[in-house]
Amino acid sequence: MPIRVNLDRILVQRRMSLTELADRVGVTIANLSILKTGKARAIRFSTLDALCRELECQPGDLLRHEPGPPDDDEGMDAG
Amino acid sequence: MRALGPGSVASLLKIALDCAYVVLLLALGAVAIAAVAIILSLPFITNGPHGAITIDGQVVEVGILLRRWPALEATLLSAGLYVAALVVIINRLRQVFTTLTQGDPFRPENVGRLRVVGLSLIALEVIGYLVRMAVLWLAPEAKGAIQFSVNLSGWFAILAVFVLAEVFREGARLRSDAELTI
Repeated sequence: MPIRVNLDRILVQRRMSLTELADRVGVTIANLSILKTGKARAIRFSTLDALCRELECQPGDLLRHEPGPPDDDEGMDAG
Repeated sequence: MRALGPGSVASLLKIALDCAYVVLLLALGAVAIAAVAIILSLPFITNGPHGAITIDGQVVEVGILLRRWPALEATLLSAGLYVAALVVIINRLRQVFTTLTQGDPFRPENVGRLRVVGLSLIALEVIGYLVRMAVLWLAPEAKGAIQFSVNLSGWFAILAVFVLAEVFREGARLRSDAELTI
């Protein structure tokens, strides 16, 4: 995915743990981990809003675009 | 009407599929037993009268039919293949149905299952012609009763199944997207 999530860096800057952020935004730690590790396919505006509010940042601080090949969305073949 | 659970269309379909599966397994067993019994009894069939059957208005001696080797074996084999293809179809549909009753039908595995159903339907059409050819070989008296016409509704059903398989593929992709949406 050419979209990178800077959640790790911002959490360090804010000195906040993933567990604390999960409590504040109402998203499970498992889902935040998926977002943090770049495995997420999409992010809801409501989640982005909650993250920006709690981390006091802009969407652009959380996400950045790195040119590269898109993910293989067709990896669904059951054979 | 409810989508799942007792009294729903899905529960009625599940009963129908289970019944069809049992009936087909019994039919496959019956064809296998008949084939073995006929082949084993062939050396003991004498030239004497064994009764007669009427095919398309013509009386044919059973003993003569049983001695038409290898047309008899070809007929039994093609009939067995026909029932086996039906068993494969019903089995895959039952697997798809299990995922539906679990509330998660748009799984990637179901795309493959529906494709197998489509391919088996193609095999059924082809085997259907083979069965008719074998019966005609075994009993040329049945020439008037057997027709070699293209079954349009069957081929449209095959097309529909392959379209459904693609719909399921897209459904599986959307499900995966939804799972990874935070």
